[in-house]
Amino acid sequence: MTVFHRLASIVRWLLHRNRDEQQLDDDVREFIEMSVADKVRDGVSPAQARRLAVLELGGIEQTKERVRTSRHGALLDDIGRDVRYGCRMLVKDPGFTVVAVLALALGIGVNTTLFSAYNAVALKPLPVRDPSSVVRFERWLQSRSLGNVQYAFSYPEYVYCLDHNDQFSSLVAASWAFLSLASPQDSAATEHRVGQLVSANYFADLGVPLLVGRGFLPHEDHTIGDSPVVVISYRFWQSGLSGDQGILGRTIRLNGATFTIVGVTPQDFTGTTVDVVAPDFWAPLSMQAQLVPGRDWLNRPEQRSFQIFARLKPSANRSAAQAQADLLVRQFASTYSERDPTTAVTLQRTTYFPNTDDIRFRALMAAVMLTVGLVLLAACANVGNMMLARGAAREREISTRLALGAGRARVLRQLLVESMLLALVGGCAGLALAGWTTKLLALTLEQNAMVIGGDFSVVNLAPDYRVLTYVLTIAIGSGVLFGLSPALQLTRRDLTTALKSQGAAFGYLRESRLRNLLVGTQVAVSVLLLATAGLLARGLTRSQVAEPEFETRAVFTIAADFGGIGSDPTGALARKKRLLEKLREHREFVSVALGTRPFSGTWTPPIIAGNTRGGTLASYASEGYFETLGIPLLRGRLFTLEEAHSNARSAVISESTARRFWPDADDVLGKSFSLDVDFRGTLEQFEVIGIVKDVRFANLTRLDPAHVYLPAGANERGSRAFENGSFLDLLVRVQGDRRRALAAIETTVASSDPNLVPGLRLINLEDGMVRVQRTLSRTCAMLTATLAMVALTLAGIGIYGVIAHLVTQRTREIGVRLALGADTAAVWRDVILRGLRSVVVGILVGLATAAGLSALLHQTLIFPGSMDFLYGVSFYDPITFASLVAFVAAVAVAASAVPAHRAMRVDPAVTLRYE
Amino acid sequence: MEKLDVPQGTLDLMILTILAREPMHGYGVAQKLATLSHDHFQVNPGSLFPSLYRLEQDGKLKAEWRPSENNRNAKYYRITAAGRKQLDHHRKRWDRITFAITSVLEGA
Repeated sequence: MTVFHRLASIVRWLLHRNRDEQQLDDDVREFIEMSVADKVRDGVSPAQARRLAVLELGGIEQTKERVRTSRHGALLDDIGRDVRYGCRMLVKDPGFTVVAVLALALGIGVNTTLFSAYNAVALKPLPVRDPSSVVRFERWLQSRSLGNVQYAFSYPEYVYCLDHNDQFSSLVAASWAFLSLASPQDSAATEHRVGQLVSANYFADLGVPLLVGRGFLPHEDHTIGDSPVVVISYRFWQSGLSGDQGILGRTIRLNGATFTIVGVTPQDFTGTTVDVVAPDFWAPLSMQAQLVPGRDWLNRPEQRSFQIFARLKPSANRSAAQAQADLLVRQFASTYSERDPTTAVTLQRTTYFPNTDDIRFRALMAAVMLTVGLVLLAACANVGNMMLARGAAREREISTRLALGAGRARVLRQLLVESMLLALVGGCAGLALAGWTTKLLALTLEQNAMVIGGDFSVVNLAPDYRVLTYVLTIAIGSGVLFGLSPALQLTRRDLTTALKSQGAAFGYLRESRLRNLLVGTQVAVSVLLLATAGLLARGLTRSQVAEPEFETRAVFTIAADFGGIGSDPTGALARKKRLLEKLREHREFVSVALGTRPFSGTWTPPIIAGNTRGGTLASYASEGYFETLGIPLLRGRLFTLEEAHSNARSAVISESTARRFWPDADDVLGKSFSLDVDFRGTLEQFEVIGIVKDVRFANLTRLDPAHVYLPAGANERGSRAFENGSFLDLLVRVQGDRRRALAAIETTVASSDPNLVPGLRLINLEDGMVRVQRTLSRTCAMLTATLAMVALTLAGIGIYGVIAHLVTQRTREIGVRLALGADTAAVWRDVILRGLRSVVVGILVGLATAAGLSALLHQTLIFPGSMDFLYGVSFYDPITFASLVAFVAAVAVAASAVPAHRAMRVDPAVTLRYE
Repeated sequence: MEKLDVPQGTLDLMILTILAREPMHGYGVAQKLATLSHDHFQVNPGSLFPSLYRLEQDGKLKAEWRPSENNRNAKYYRITAAGRKQLDHHRKRWDRITFAITSVLEGA
């Protein structure tokens, strides 16, 4: 028989199902009638004959069911019926459905949000034609430096590879993003716009179609300074140039030079930069001198300002291509002396973000996914418990179905279909929730990015098929997870016991122990969840009033292109120092210093001081640093000018550092400590010359538990990647009229180094770094508060549901006891106390686990750079703990009391008759 | 006497054989099966039904409704050309199997 035939018969049967059902019924009935007629003829009484006939057949309904299940397409039909039935069951019990869907939506939503972010960052390919054949060059350095520096290549390297390879159909160079002062032709107002210099084949060879106009012509990157043309982004077109229809051929001024607009990129093209910015315009790299003045990006082999993209030839083998790229770059390296030699070049799959196959990124991602996975697991456990409690109420229904001839597998399948339905509805709700939270996430990121100069709009968080697949997978997984175990337990029941003595309680001792375990677990998990969420919420609300304890409102950092990734750091430091000197001339406006910028990450080298080993935060400070930031000196003195710029072995420490490492010393001044600055075990000795007040330097969550300040000069003369002044930022504190002071700074920058002007931005510490921290913690606080609310609701409903169900099951037992003359008060006591026993155990277990967790949290707090999400709230916060225990206990008592009260009002005669 | 279970896969063969002679109602098939097997086979009508319906769905049998002896509508099964072909095929296979088994049993 052909497949077609079989399919056709299934379809036919599905179409005529109702008629077929009727005919099957007639057919079986007729069989019985014939059988009865035969038997009556043989002399059996009609009633007896009928009984025998049905017995021989093996039951009318059973036979019909066997026919149904043996038909082709039966499975399909059954599942369809199960789905309809499941829907009815879910609608019938809306309270349960809503809570379960809510719990699942939350669990799935959180997971989906994170996956969307991961997807956008690490899985989505670049928005180019046939992204699978495009690779990014990545270099590996002897210093083992990781990060953007791995994608930095010089223009001569690019040209060398272009001339000598035979594996790539094209090579594309694209520079780091830079800031440029832009103004439309007819306007004098300038604004910062992000630009990128690219090789002329950028749009053509990567396969980015232009919305309007053209990409660059092949010759436009040939002659230096000869092709003042730009392609602009859709966003720039709409926001900066008001969507002007006749945009092509218009000119704009960039850093004062006039450029002609030749094209506009599509709306969804956000560029291919390695750093997190979406360029506003692209220009041929031949225009570097105009757009990035004062630099030479095109001739010096050690000036690594470009990323290289390559499109593999269709015939090319990727490993051969990689070998060739490696060979070419290292061949070229032998023609000059590399400061940090390249050990290998690899070809990287082009995802939106680089470094996503970095092991550290993956470990971080795994940890985060695991955490949110646990949230989903908790949601599943909760729903599973509720299903089991509810399922107990459906025992009679299930037993009846089993007794009527439905196989266990059939009932199991039906229960699973019900869970799946629930899971899928939860999944849809989760997806909707995730749509909303990803928007929130994007908004938060964007707000944060704006103040630090990045641009997260390049991250396209919109769900694609990967996200949908992920949601479907975890929804089905959750359905199995919370549905399977209750379904197995419910269908295992012994038929006769369940039908006859459901709820008779006396024979249910073993069962009730299981239920007690259930209640206990539910309570323990709820207590843990509540404790964590409650504490976090309390801690994070504190964050909104936390102050850094030093001056942030009047302090600015000077951000400009001092020489970024891939260029020589000594040049950058020299520029900063020159500017520092110039700014010092304006003492009436400003105080200036060079040093580590607050809230810029945590550098925590190992320290040995006194008899203690540990870690400490460390920063570099020039003279005037503490005055600029307003960190008061408590004892001793600060760095002198000479100390600050030399490799002096003196250090200023915070008061808590003194307390922590020299708890017994009367005077810490003059003591010395050793610091393993580069984490390689090379200890350097420093002598304490001063003690300053504790501040929240690393992050707003807590006062730095240990902090040593080293002279800026110590950072200048290192050989390591992070040294040579790359830790030193210009910090300026303005006094008096702020606008005049800022104008003075800008003028000074322009006169000292005009090339810094295009990228110059003055970032206020309060509006910048501090606000980032506050926004982040506000978002976290909102999320945890929501989580706490949901945890509270879930815990309440879960505990109430399970306990109330258990007590309801004892209705008959209570009736019997009252009928036999039991004292009402004694019954009350028994019911409530029995219910509370497992609750108390659950609370204790939950609290013990919470205490364990707190020990773990405290372990992490020993690390000086870590965040304190509790903002100083003690983990053993009595208010949180007392109120949550009171809450759980109240719910438990109510859950016992309400059904018990109801049970006791029922006339004992009624309960007994029912039995 | 203890009744025998129908060997796996032979129920269809027997149904087709019976229906090849004349169209019959399900009850008739059950009775005929009992008579022809001299009551050796324990054919539960409950397992006859699924086989009949499946054969019908596969196009080996064709069913028609006509009045029965009791003057009610009953379902009569008739073998189709495809059914005859299958019967033929199964019959040959069955003959080979019994021949082979008998040979082994007698030759040993």
